[in-house]
Amino acid sequence: MSSTFMQSLTRRAGFLLLTGAALGLLATGVSTKGLKFYSDDPISREPESQDPSKAQPYTIGSLYEMTYNLFVTAGYKPTGVRAQNINTIGEVPDSSWFTNRIGTVPVTTEQIVRGPLVGAPPDPSKWVLTREKTSGVHPGFTARDAKGETWFLEFDPPEFPEGATGAVAVATKLFWALGYNQVESYLSTFDPKHVEIDPKATIKRPNGKRTPFTHDDINAILEHVAQNKDGTYRIVAGRLLPGKILGGFLYIGTRPDDPNDIVPHQHRRELRALRVFGAWTNLTDLKAANTLDTLVTENGRTFVKHYLQDVGSTFGMCNDKYEWDLSWEHFYQGDTTRKRLFTLGFGLSPWQTVKYEEYPSIGKFEGDVWDPRKWRPQTPTTAYMELRDDDAFWAARRVAAFTDELIRAAVHQGQYSDPKAEKLLGDVLIKRRDRIKSIYLTAVNPIVSPKLDGGKLTFDNAAVAGGVAPAPSMYRASWFRFDNATGESQPISDTQGSTTTLDAPSGLPSSSGSFVRVDIAADSDGHPTWKKPVHTYFRRGADGWKLVGLERMPDAPDAPAKK
Amino acid sequence: MWKLITVAALVVLSAGTAAAQETQPPTREQAIEQAQAEKDKVLHPVVPTKAEYWLDKAESILSDGMRWHPFFENAYSGGGFTLGAGYAFYLGSYSFLDVRGSYTITGYKRLEAEYLAPRLFNRRGKLSLLGGWRDATQVAFYGIGGGTTDNAPTNYRFTQPYGSALLTLRPTRRVLMLRGGAEYSQWTQKHGEGTDPSVEEVYTPQTLPGLGAKVTYLHSQGTVGLDWLAPAPDYARRGTYLGVTGHDYNDKDKNFGFQQVDYEAIQHIPILREAWVISLHGRVQTAFNKSGQEIPFFMLPSVGGGSSLRGFSSWRFRDNNSLLMQAEWRIMVNRFLDAAFFYDAGKVTARTKDLDFDHLRDDYGFGLRFHSPFATPLRVELAKSNEGLSIVFASSAAF
Repeated sequence: MSSTFMQSLTRRAGFLLLTGAALGLLATGVSTKGLKFYSDDPISREPESQDPSKAQPYTIGSLYEMTYNLFVTAGYKPTGVRAQNINTIGEVPDSSWFTNRIGTVPVTTEQIVRGPLVGAPPDPSKWVLTREKTSGVHPGFTARDAKGETWFLEFDPPEFPEGATGAVAVATKLFWALGYNQVESYLSTFDPKHVEIDPKATIKRPNGKRTPFTHDDINAILEHVAQNKDGTYRIVAGRLLPGKILGGFLYIGTRPDDPNDIVPHQHRRELRALRVFGAWTNLTDLKAANTLDTLVTENGRTFVKHYLQDVGSTFGMCNDKYEWDLSWEHFYQGDTTRKRLFTLGFGLSPWQTVKYEEYPSIGKFEGDVWDPRKWRPQTPTTAYMELRDDDAFWAARRVAAFTDELIRAAVHQGQYSDPKAEKLLGDVLIKRRDRIKSIYLTAVNPIVSPKLDGGKLTFDNAAVAGGVAPAPSMYRASWFRFDNATGESQPISDTQGSTTTLDAPSGLPSSSGSFVRVDIAADSDGHPTWKKPVHTYFRRGADGWKLVGLERMPDAPDAPAKK
Repeated sequence: MWKLITVAALVVLSAGTAAAQETQPPTREQAIEQAQAEKDKVLHPVVPTKAEYWLDKAESILSDGMRWHPFFENAYSGGGFTLGAGYAFYLGSYSFLDVRGSYTITGYKRLEAEYLAPRLFNRRGKLSLLGGWRDATQVAFYGIGGGTTDNAPTNYRFTQPYGSALLTLRPTRRVLMLRGGAEYSQWTQKHGEGTDPSVEEVYTPQTLPGLGAKVTYLHSQGTVGLDWLAPAPDYARRGTYLGVTGHDYNDKDKNFGFQQVDYEAIQHIPILREAWVISLHGRVQTAFNKSGQEIPFFMLPSVGGGSSLRGFSSWRFRDNNSLLMQAEWRIMVNRFLDAAFFYDAGKVTARTKDLDFDHLRDDYGFGLRFHSPFATPLRVELAKSNEGLSIVFASSAAF
């Protein structure tokens, strides 16, 4: 046996071990050995303690990824396990992947208008082309602006004037607000009269060689993009990301060369939640090539930062205007293939009859027939397959936090020349938001924000607060003393009431460091899942009770409480 | 495999013991950091799987342009199942020399080299320079005219060296297409190698023009076309093509010179957002002999075969004029597969004025087409005519 083979085996075994260990680290209730809650629970930031400087660039082949996802991932059986990067109260801590913004803290109109933009916009008075565009379906260049800064320029296809660029401008604001790392993208202009070619600029030819970029190469691209009436072109310019480019991240497994990446990506809630956010915005192109890992040093700390790099395949933007099935089916599906083959196409699919109000700058985007549960990206990802109801609930709360005003402010950043198009995009996003709320906020017990204070238990009902369900007839709370060392629960009493404030029973422990568990359920006609209690845990401190645990859908079957 | 399991188990067990002996970290943050520190000991670069390696390889070959490539065009229609390969030598950034050959189950041979310059005149022109040799061992011949039967087939063999230049221009880079070119070739007939009688055993030069002749042609041609087909000519789901091509076949010995005009129209009508496509194809070929010369039997317009009357054998009907009409009802099964019901009708006539809709020969059938967004690499069809069933395997669209 070669040493290389041995190393490989050891790595695989180590990976299994570490994955198993990681599964129990972040989420509460996964491990019953040792303390259920640590003194610093719930954590608000996922630590990145190790130096990942040895991480090497890796790019998954798009043909392999597409084939794998269409024919392997599509048949993947979800494990059903809880997201593994959530903290003990079921929230996603800040990390190199995600920053809590909307739904956690108030986001103002000014903030969403600015979104990921922190620097100055490009100076388009001169562009110096350095390379062809290396990713994405829409044509473009890599270029330096008049200030010498490098940008990735993307144009609009002729059939979608303002469409591709507007989609990037709007979607980067929405995904930034949702918490994802976004590329700074500005709408700008490209005037062919003020374009130079860097003497060192090259382009890859069909013969496989890179040869100098020529003006004819520019013309070849400009012939296939939408032109403004004054001869200039509308572009969206994405700022070059800082740091060492490591390639896109996968929606499965972990980077084996990043020591801080210990939670399999399919079990990261923010990646699972892209099924909801993707459905909302119609982000159909969920592939590794549209993500990016960079090795960065910030505040003296080196870590791998994970970006949703390209969110331009959103709203009605697609490869061409005849991609009618986009977002309704994966590129390949066995069920619809069989249906159409054996019915000779008479078994109609929804995309064949849905009505669109179409504007070239928006494309096919509607919110009347659309159902987020039936939305399909081009290819499924493992994280997409792993979405559970509690992940979707978490995501829906964030979508629900977008007010009409915030949505319209983000949409306005698309700088659409047709006010009707802008209005349509806003209208559809609002309709889709409301549909997401009505489906996902009601699918599980929607108790949120429990507090135990002054002998009262208070909480909110996200579905009722969101206006998508009537108030339940009754809330029921079962109270337990909880032993943090053994995980055992001793019943105290049950209380109930018709409001979101319930009296605490007498006999709660009063010593500092003691725990209580409160299981909160609701009686609501039409929502039988609300009877399944949310498990909440409070720890007694010097200044009262603090919420340290919230399990909406625990992994393990509910442990029978000792009466 | 047992070694793998053993090693994995040992590692897990030893790690588990160590974990048990360690005290629990005091904080969640430290627990996570401990796991990260453990992972830091076993870091390694991404190791692609074998499947990933080979698909990456395939993607690289496809995106970089295939040097070695399959070549399924046989020497002449009717050659049967074909295998072939080619190799492209790039001579410039875009231009290349493609050397290729094919061999069929019936012994048809083709060997040729083509120089292709696809981006001339600021991407408005494409030039093809082609030279080669082919050998078709058993080309079917059923007689001349539309009234022939399939119970007395003959066959012939020919070999042909050829050299041609063809320039295609799209002055606006879009709809208007102009094509012109010339070919120099020599047709040498030989005894047919098929199971049916060879053509000279049934006919004489007096009853069959061109029989036994060795003909050297300078063939010049010009096409004017309007091409709205989309997304691509070899896989179109919408759009129109209208084209007229004029040919002049100049026989070096002034015995078999003739002219021919081809008229072609294609219309794809998408229904229900391209879930269905009604595709229509019409083609008329009219050939005129030059004064005092004859059109040899093997150059007569023809219908029959995998891209025309699919329920009939290749070269089933030949005469001075031909009419072909095809209709398909295409069903989009998924993004890579179409199914189609088709109906073909056509005829050949001695006189142009007989090119009407009377006495058409027809067939119908069903087929599957495996396609990419721009090409149809595999078409499998079953066609039925009054002369029986035919199975078609092709590496291109029917039209």
